[in-house]
Amino acid sequence: MGGISLLRACGGAVKLPRSLPAAALRQQARFLASLLASLLAAASLTSACAPPHPAGTLIVASKARIDSLDPAQASRSGQLQVLSALGDPLYAITADGAIEPRLAAGPPVLSADGLRARIPLRKGIQFHDGTPFDAAAMVFSLNRFMAIGTLGYQFSDRVKAVRASGPFEIELELKAPFSPLPRLLSAIFLTPVSPTAYRTHTDKPLNNRFVGTGPYRLSFFNGQQQRLTPFQEYWGARPANGGIDLVTLSNSTALLGALRSGEVDVLLASGLEIDHQQALHRDAATGRLREGSGPPLSIGFFSLLTDQPPLNNPLLRQALARSLDRATITERVSLGMRPPLRQLIPPSLAGSDPDAWPAYDPAAARALYRQAGYCNGKVFGLPLTFRSDIPSDRLLALTWQAQVRRDLGDCLDLQVSGMESTTAYDQLGKGALTLFFYDWIGDYPDPENFLTPLLGCEKVEANRCAKGNSALSGSFWSAPGLDAELLRSSRIDGPERERLLRAIQRRTAAAVPYLPVWLMAEQAWSGRRISAPQFDGSGRLRLDQLRRLPAAPATLAASPGGPEARR
Amino acid sequence: MSRRSELLRYLGARLALAPLMLWLISSLVFLLLRVAPGDPIDALLGPKAPAAARAALRHQLGLDQPLPVQYGHFLGDLLHGNLGVSQASKEPVTTIIQGSLPASLELGLVALLIAAVLGLAVGFSGIARPEGKVDLAGRLFGIGTYALPPFWAAMVVQLVFAVWLGWLPVGGRLPATVLPPEGTGFYLFDSLRAGNLQQLQGALRHLVLPASTLGLLLSGIFTNALRLNLRRALSSDYVEAARSRGLSETRVVLRHALPNALLPVLTITGITVASLIGGALLIEVTYSWPGIAFRLQEAIAQRDYPLVQGIVVVVAALVVLVTVVVDLLVALLDPRVRF
Repeated sequence: MGGISLLRACGGAVKLPRSLPAAALRQQARFLASLLASLLAAASLTSACAPPHPAGTLIVASKARIDSLDPAQASRSGQLQVLSALGDPLYAITADGAIEPRLAAGPPVLSADGLRARIPLRKGIQFHDGTPFDAAAMVFSLNRFMAIGTLGYQFSDRVKAVRASGPFEIELELKAPFSPLPRLLSAIFLTPVSPTAYRTHTDKPLNNRFVGTGPYRLSFFNGQQQRLTPFQEYWGARPANGGIDLVTLSNSTALLGALRSGEVDVLLASGLEIDHQQALHRDAATGRLREGSGPPLSIGFFSLLTDQPPLNNPLLRQALARSLDRATITERVSLGMRPPLRQLIPPSLAGSDPDAWPAYDPAAARALYRQAGYCNGKVFGLPLTFRSDIPSDRLLALTWQAQVRRDLGDCLDLQVSGMESTTAYDQLGKGALTLFFYDWIGDYPDPENFLTPLLGCEKVEANRCAKGNSALSGSFWSAPGLDAELLRSSRIDGPERERLLRAIQRRTAAAVPYLPVWLMAEQAWSGRRISAPQFDGSGRLRLDQLRRLPAAPATLAASPGGPEARR
Repeated sequence: MSRRSELLRYLGARLALAPLMLWLISSLVFLLLRVAPGDPIDALLGPKAPAAARAALRHQLGLDQPLPVQYGHFLGDLLHGNLGVSQASKEPVTTIIQGSLPASLELGLVALLIAAVLGLAVGFSGIARPEGKVDLAGRLFGIGTYALPPFWAAMVVQLVFAVWLGWLPVGGRLPATVLPPEGTGFYLFDSLRAGNLQQLQGALRHLVLPASTLGLLLSGIFTNALRLNLRRALSSDYVEAARSRGLSETRVVLRHALPNALLPVLTITGITVASLIGGALLIEVTYSWPGIAFRLQEAIAQRDYPLVQGIVVVVAALVVLVTVVVDLLVALLDPRVRF
């Protein structure tokens, strides 16, 4: 009755008109019925007329919109993923972590003082525009990157100058000896571009074209769609498919639906919500999809503000380190897809120390809280900030909050709140976030690229970092001599380096400026008729390895990145 | 003063005020962006880039200059029709807007057409038997579609028709295997002009779900507006006079009441068009529709100041233009309107 009154009220207090003839009413009803029927018929008909995939080509979807394919502009994972199919680095990291020369003809030859590196280049390689690849082209590309590259500092912080020391040899003049040089040179943003094609873009980006040396040519580009076609004159192994169409879908549900409905062939996990990743993981486990994972190179961790109360108290930081039940949290939040992590360096890299941070120990945590004056009727209230635009971060924060209430409710109360990423990053460097969860992936897979961005410090005041990476990362923690140790770790190699890296991690773990939580890897899923996705050692999906399988009943054979391997 | 002179004077006043309004809007956006928390450098380089790299980029983007200087540059460029260069992609803002505005307009116009046809048909159908079942259903439809949360409705429609039934694509403007047509950016028009049926079919298929969802959500406004105004018109004196002259009820409704009832609907259409120029953000995000609202959302997330400012200025200018045109149309069609 109330509803009808409301509806009447909507009509207003007006005199009712006389009725139209019944024929007119029937006419209206027929019109509406035919309109609805036409819409449904049109939808059904057009669904039968979906354009077929051209033979051998595959559609790969992700959430990443790509504004530019200029290596100088590349900083996001989506851009780097596409560039890895269009260009070649000097060195590549294989799936098992080994370094192999790609455009380089051999490993770098270092001078006695370690300040000069000569790199021989492969001969007989062509750019996509038909011009030859040589030392001059490589020097042009590296200088251009140093001049206008968004990540130019990654290279120019280590390299003073680049010159051609021969037609097919370049020489890098380093600012200091740098042992991870080949790993730095494996970064795809250092891929060479054709000097001819970029002649008018030496000092500005060329967003919508790419002319490099990789297995694919870029034949179409816009922000949401890129078409890659095999480069016929490619020097290496030809792609296993007839081309790749990359598309961007902006929400996780659409991505999931597109793969399940067969609208796309392969789906990259980046940007997928965690529950959708879990759904795909289950599909892969039951054989409905194929799954592949890259090396876990991304770490999720808490940053603790160590130079202000309350976390300037080391006892509280140590207690907090023992209050985190990583096993429960990672199982609840990610269904075990993100393994627990107790170090800052991913386990696949040198210097890994799996037990650097203390394990979950509520009894020891309680003792430390007591020592700091809490638990005996006094609860330590700690604000925890997460990135509100990352759904898994929210889940993690709430799960930890619940776990702490269950196990240490009389000692610790996590006061959880969300903040949009860009705002949070700004606040982080200003020392405004007491406890903040975020993640980090190095621009190239080397321990140096995980420790220095978190621990590096330009201005140390006792155990406080007044200026530098540690401050930008929100911990403001340093220690006397730590920066020198970090610097040394990037100059030495082999077991000595590994020992030093482990020592740095142990020293950091004792002070708890960060709290590692989990490890993340790039993942991808493909339809049953497509080969299982495979990744290289830099965490990029090998687009050139994807292929459509014969129509025979598909059996999900074990593959390096497949679900069997994961188990 | 003649009616024509009045109209011209009104038009002149509205157009003269437009630059002032645009200046106010753009200045407000400029200020709000700088006051809002978040740093474009963090969005571009991430939180852990070295201080020197951050400082270099800040200098390169001109963000190290005092705010009045930045504002002066912005205003100077704007007066010369230069909307600047995107901080994220280094592309001219004008180019980005040219690429995404047609997508929003195409979606908006088709959705408006669906909304108008569906809404007016439902609104009109109840007139035959006031307070009858059809009228009640029409009212329910009007209120229901108006009250539906757009994000939820779009998600449900997408799940049912794209994911479960697989009838239509989940998102985007074209199939991945079809390249966009060259031309204006209005894919339906461009593919028709090029005579490319594959492009046309792909564009139509991708347009069906977002346009139908948006059209459905907007149709309630038309239903309620027509229903209310038509009933008011049908109870007016001139309609009674027409009836007393012995005209048939169908003729009374179609010739006398309906044209008058449609005038307010025209105003509502104008307001709806104006709101659609800014894009239907939630629809664009759900269906991965690369329109202007989608770009604006991305630009805000990246703190891409020039792009946000440029989009807001262009959208505001178009809204001003559309409202002026609608006002003029109403004035031309309805001699009772005075200025």
